[in-house]
Amino acid sequence: MKDQDAAFEREALPWIDDVYRFALSLTRDESDADDVVQDTFLRAYRSWHTYLPGSDCRRWLFTICRNVFLRSRERARPTVELDATDVDAAAVGSVYATAAREGFEDIFSRLDLVPAINDALDKVPEPFRSALIIVDVEDQSYESAAEMLGVPIGTVRSRLFRGRRLMQEQLLTYAIDAGFAPRSACVEQRRNA
Amino acid sequence: MPDTLSEVVPTECMEVVLHVWDYLDDQLTAEATTTLRAHIIVCPECYAFQSFQRGFLDALAGLRRPQRAPWRVKARVLASLAEAGLRTH
Repeated sequence: MKDQDAAFEREALPWIDDVYRFALSLTRDESDADDVVQDTFLRAYRSWHTYLPGSDCRRWLFTICRNVFLRSRERARPTVELDATDVDAAAVGSVYATAAREGFEDIFSRLDLVPAINDALDKVPEPFRSALIIVDVEDQSYESAAEMLGVPIGTVRSRLFRGRRLMQEQLLTYAIDAGFAPRSACVEQRRNA
Repeated sequence: MPDTLSEVVPTECMEVVLHVWDYLDDQLTAEATTTLRAHIIVCPECYAFQSFQRGFLDALAGLRRPQRAPWRVKARVLASLAEAGLRTH
């Protein structure tokens, strides 16, 4: 066995579960995820000489995985970047004000909202969704996300804030439309029980 | 906290609104973190707002589940790598 093959087997292959989970988050489709994972490892093997030994192999694979995903969707990276972080940050104040008015201050801790959270994440458009998956779901730092996405840290931040705001708006609308009982009603119900 | 931002919002509260995610993501300087935390502790509205945002981030983090790649995927990956020249144990 060649040395580089041994290194690839030792350092890259053990991350297959993580890469699969990441691919599944991006594609939301098992069959598409299978293809993306296969292509990711193939590309990783072919460009193994570019991997810096001792660096974060998982991050390196995630970067390849996301590029494979984007290519599979034939989506070019956006050339126009939004610079509205403060606007998005300020907008979360309005989202919260609506939630508080409707009695949904604790809406995100409700177990019956979990499927809706999945759906809401699915509906967030790229490039915001990738930022959410990498930072908020996969728990990667802004720096790692910037490296994976090939953008400055400030761009990660603005994409993240926009994605979070879009998700919150969707979830709040869902909770109101689905007739979720507000906290005040639950408290009243417990009192009367 | 007022319903809309067009209403008068105390400066300290506005700082929390604008930077709550930077705060929760640990992206602020130590000094800014201390300032924000000091206000959040004494302002019930900002505390509730911060808890709402933290709950949202916790809910997102909850989507992360340990997940193993199915055998079919591992088999496909190994087969394609072998075809590309990888020699494993």
